[in-house]
Amino acid sequence: MFKLDAKIPEGPIQEKWDRYRFQLKLVNPANKRKYSVIVIGTGLAGASASASLAELGYNVQTFCISDSPRRAHSIAAQGGINAAKNYPNDGDSVWRLFYDTVKGGDYRSREANVYRLAQVSNNIIDQCVAQGVPFARDYGGTLANRSFGGAQVSRTFYARGQTGQQLLLGAYQAMMRQVGMGKVQLFTRREMLNLVVIDGRARGVVIRNLVTGELEHYVADAVILASGGYSTVYYLSTNAMNSNCSGIWRAHKKGAGLANPCFTQIHPTCIPMSSDHQSKLTLMSESLRNDGRVWVPKRAGDNRPPAEIPEEERDYYLERIYPSFGNLVPRDVASRNAKLQCDAGKGVGATKRAVYLDFASAIARDGADSIRKKYGNLFEMYERITDEDPYKAPMRIYPAVHYTMGGLWVDYNLMSTIPGLFVLGEANFSDHGANRLGASALMQGLGDGYFVIPYTIGNYLAELPLATVANGRPESKHPAFMAANKEVQEEINRIISVKGKRSVSDLHRELGKIMWEKVGMARNEKGLKEALTEIPRLREEFRRNSKVPGRADDLNPEMEKALRMNDYLDLGELMARDALGRLESCGGHFREESQTAESEAKRDDEKHCNVAVWEHKGEGALPERHVEELKFENVQLSQRSYK
Amino acid sequence: MSKSFAKSSLYFNYFFSSIGKKQVLAVTATFLCLFTIVHFIGNLLMFAGPQYFNWYGHTLASGPLLPLAEGLLLLLFLSHASLGLWLACENYRARPERYYKKVRSGRGATFASATMPFTGILLLFFLVLHLLHFRFGPVYTIVYDGVEMRDFYRLMIEFYANPLNVVLYLLSMCLLSFHLGHGVQSIFQSYGWIHSKYTPWVKRMGLLIAVFLAIGFSSFPLWAYLKHGVVGY
Amino acid sequence: MSSKNMTIHLKIWRQKCCSEKGRMENYTLTTVSPDMSFLEMLDLLNQELIVKGEEPVVFDHDCREGICGACSLMINGEPHGPEMLTTSCQLHMRKFKDGDTIVVEPFRAKAFPVIRDLACDRSAFDKIIASGGFISVNTGSGAEANATLVKQESAELAMDAAACIGCGACVAACSNASAMLFVAAKVSHLGLLPQGDPEASKRVYNMVKRMDELGFGNCSNEGECEAACPKGIKISNIARMNRKFLLSSLTSAPEEGGGKQEWN
Repeated sequence: MFKLDAKIPEGPIQEKWDRYRFQLKLVNPANKRKYSVIVIGTGLAGASASASLAELGYNVQTFCISDSPRRAHSIAAQGGINAAKNYPNDGDSVWRLFYDTVKGGDYRSREANVYRLAQVSNNIIDQCVAQGVPFARDYGGTLANRSFGGAQVSRTFYARGQTGQQLLLGAYQAMMRQVGMGKVQLFTRREMLNLVVIDGRARGVVIRNLVTGELEHYVADAVILASGGYSTVYYLSTNAMNSNCSGIWRAHKKGAGLANPCFTQIHPTCIPMSSDHQSKLTLMSESLRNDGRVWVPKRAGDNRPPAEIPEEERDYYLERIYPSFGNLVPRDVASRNAKLQCDAGKGVGATKRAVYLDFASAIARDGADSIRKKYGNLFEMYERITDEDPYKAPMRIYPAVHYTMGGLWVDYNLMSTIPGLFVLGEANFSDHGANRLGASALMQGLGDGYFVIPYTIGNYLAELPLATVANGRPESKHPAFMAANKEVQEEINRIISVKGKRSVSDLHRELGKIMWEKVGMARNEKGLKEALTEIPRLREEFRRNSKVPGRADDLNPEMEKALRMNDYLDLGELMARDALGRLESCGGHFREESQTAESEAKRDDEKHCNVAVWEHKGEGALPERHVEELKFENVQLSQRSYK
Repeated sequence: MSKSFAKSSLYFNYFFSSIGKKQVLAVTATFLCLFTIVHFIGNLLMFAGPQYFNWYGHTLASGPLLPLAEGLLLLLFLSHASLGLWLACENYRARPERYYKKVRSGRGATFASATMPFTGILLLFFLVLHLLHFRFGPVYTIVYDGVEMRDFYRLMIEFYANPLNVVLYLLSMCLLSFHLGHGVQSIFQSYGWIHSKYTPWVKRMGLLIAVFLAIGFSSFPLWAYLKHGVVGY
Repeated sequence: MSSKNMTIHLKIWRQKCCSEKGRMENYTLTTVSPDMSFLEMLDLLNQELIVKGEEPVVFDHDCREGICGACSLMINGEPHGPEMLTTSCQLHMRKFKDGDTIVVEPFRAKAFPVIRDLACDRSAFDKIIASGGFISVNTGSGAEANATLVKQESAELAMDAAACIGCGACVAACSNASAMLFVAAKVSHLGLLPQGDPEASKRVYNMVKRMDELGFGNCSNEGECEAACPKGIKISNIARMNRKFLLSSLTSAPEEGGGKQEWN
């Protein structure tokens, strides 16, 4: 049973962080080397935290799943990173970024955390520029900005279409500098499989060495989880193949509360699935909607190629329903409408699960060259994957799972309900509420790692009894470690002993279908309840009929998948349960029971202006739902409208 | 560690670094190229007649700096060849297990670039034979204006009367054109002298020099053979 | 979009671990869709192997959209296959013909030992970065972002070089297994920006030194790396590094850098 205390500091929102930083305890510089911190994950949050903490003098042990820390999936972010610099002089401010983020999140995020994020956004840009991130520049040599995701101001900094890559390389290089200096110990091809809690504090992890298959123990004074989001529960998503939920789920099983797991973001402009062999979906920047027009045939079951459908038989449905925002409505609205059109039988392409994104009028207006300049690389990517030329025929797009706003619950210090376990980046829940704005994910990952955790972890470490650090630290053979090891070993043995017929990927694909159909873009009680019976059935099938060839104590990708599959099933079930409990529509979570007469999302601020935090109660037992009430003192709650 | 030692070990490190070795190779290559061009221009005198050619040879041979020049040339050739071989061995060792299948992209490596160590070794053989035939070959003498000198002209004419020697020479010049065809532009790349405006010209110039020198040098034995090998001396 | 299935014959390198000898194995797939990516085709093969109870082919992959740099296959004798500016994961089967035989090998270099089958250990690249591939600025000490102006041209050139995904195709393609293009891309990216200038000399010196220690070959200016690079990194970066290295070696005395830490 845990108590949720967000530890939001007193005072006006503008001063909370400054005052709080003064109140935080400091670790004496000479003592920092006595403390040791484990970081799981090397994306924006993990790499920036590892670098910053090592620079302060802490001993850091950093783990990543890939062969190199630079492969983390932050690298795939295209669009940009927001900051309240107001360089274009167009009216931006920390307050406006804060306001837009809270509103964009449909009032389900914590004001104080979001305000702090907006504050540090400017420091992030300064830091990244100093690191040599090659942001786009104007002719005068100053930084260039663009507007992104329907924002009214130009506050997005970008490095071509590879902003995530460049920011990650900046953080990675800062971390590798500390690796070279011996302050960060780097462990690659390692996967965290258990969290070790001793005397109520996170003290270490059990890690599987993916090359040898051995289980290894690592002890520290605090553990930072920066293992990313859990979109891969859906099997098909825009996330990387190795992105997974095991880090957060296993911490959750050890007592960390999981907040709002049903808040997932579905990105409207992805390349549609072509057939069952597909392994992942590819996202195209939503900037495409600036010039592309979305349409479907007016008549259901119209199989003519797009060029043969005359103008008057086309339905530009976004422009029709939302005359003022048109094709630029927020991600969740665009996604849901695409699904509605396809459900009505108006979908296009071979699978009928796609809508057109047409550039014909933009090309007629501005010329093909101008369009090529803006979107050339995206058009190329589209053609490479689909073998269709978007200059000649309209693109086919369909929404895909892209980001998860939910995650482990953290307080203002980014500490979970387990003392000593900190959660950063997409893995935590705090800043994006029910929907994340474009170009805000990079900001949050780096904000947490560079500018929040270095302060708040010091406060925690300074409070640790000195007798339990340095020489007093528990040994790696401590009974708690041995018990955690045994749990994992038993799980591995169970997996290897099932000599079934179905591959793990096959089962995962089936889970993905359940999740997409029933816990996807639009949810209703019936579907969610079905998911809650189908997932346990699938779990049975997995335990009885899965097949993992090879040995457990060896490099074995199928074993890796099987270990993650367990967690996907559990988390998928909890997502359905959470979605069932949230009887309102907000952000990425659309409950069909809660909509206006015009089929728009209807929030219920009376009953649901809160964070649902789930407590694990053991295998087979129902999890317990706790609630953190959200208070909005600075932003007025209002219903979003894009008409 | 004293500062001066750090500095000296720095130079040491430079010469043993991969880039340092390449740049020293490029420096020696530059001088060898210049030597080859001068050698070619000197040889042109054979078209002017035996006395000019022999006087040229005599002037060079009797100069007081000959031992120094020859020593330098020897050093250049030896260092170029040994560095090249050293690099080639290192390169071979950098991939202990070869590919089952490897194709060239067609956008990078050429036959010339891929065979540099081999054309280099073959050219070294040619050079040894060339020196044995001429520098250390039979000594004919001739007297012009009362000065006795070696009759290189006769030596050359006699040597290239044999068509086999001509063919071997022509083949060697083919090797030279391949070696220089990649080598000349490579010198610029190793120094880092590149510019989007000039580099395409440098590449063309490199090829031109290679082909020109190969054809130019080939003209000597061909001329000698056609003039005297067929007709008789 | 075509839907007709193809038959593909595969010759795939199977190797238990670095110390054991590997060999080529033959496989045939009869239901390859032209819309599959190359890696999805390997997924299909693995599904068949798993159902048969055989061990699937191990290969590195992650983002499958050509940016993470994990995929590292030698396809028909070329890194990432025959398509220009394309990673293995973005290569589609429609580029092959029904009945084709495709040879798949790992990237091979002494510095990239094979871990299993088609996966090799490229941590040598990270070790080179750790030796100097960064700008030494601690968190929080960055100045106001617009305080230093950067010529747009320099920013663009730096971005061209920074686009490197660290996949190792340059090493795989080079007949000498040289890592010059990778190192030069980082030296150029950081050296072209005013922020990276203060330690430019030290950086190039330390990175080249580390590269040499790790067992990569030497550059012979052939340009196969440039031709194979999925991100189009130019060998003019190598020339820039050669120049900087010469200047660095002859004009300054950088101290011995750190960056010798090993990890596993």
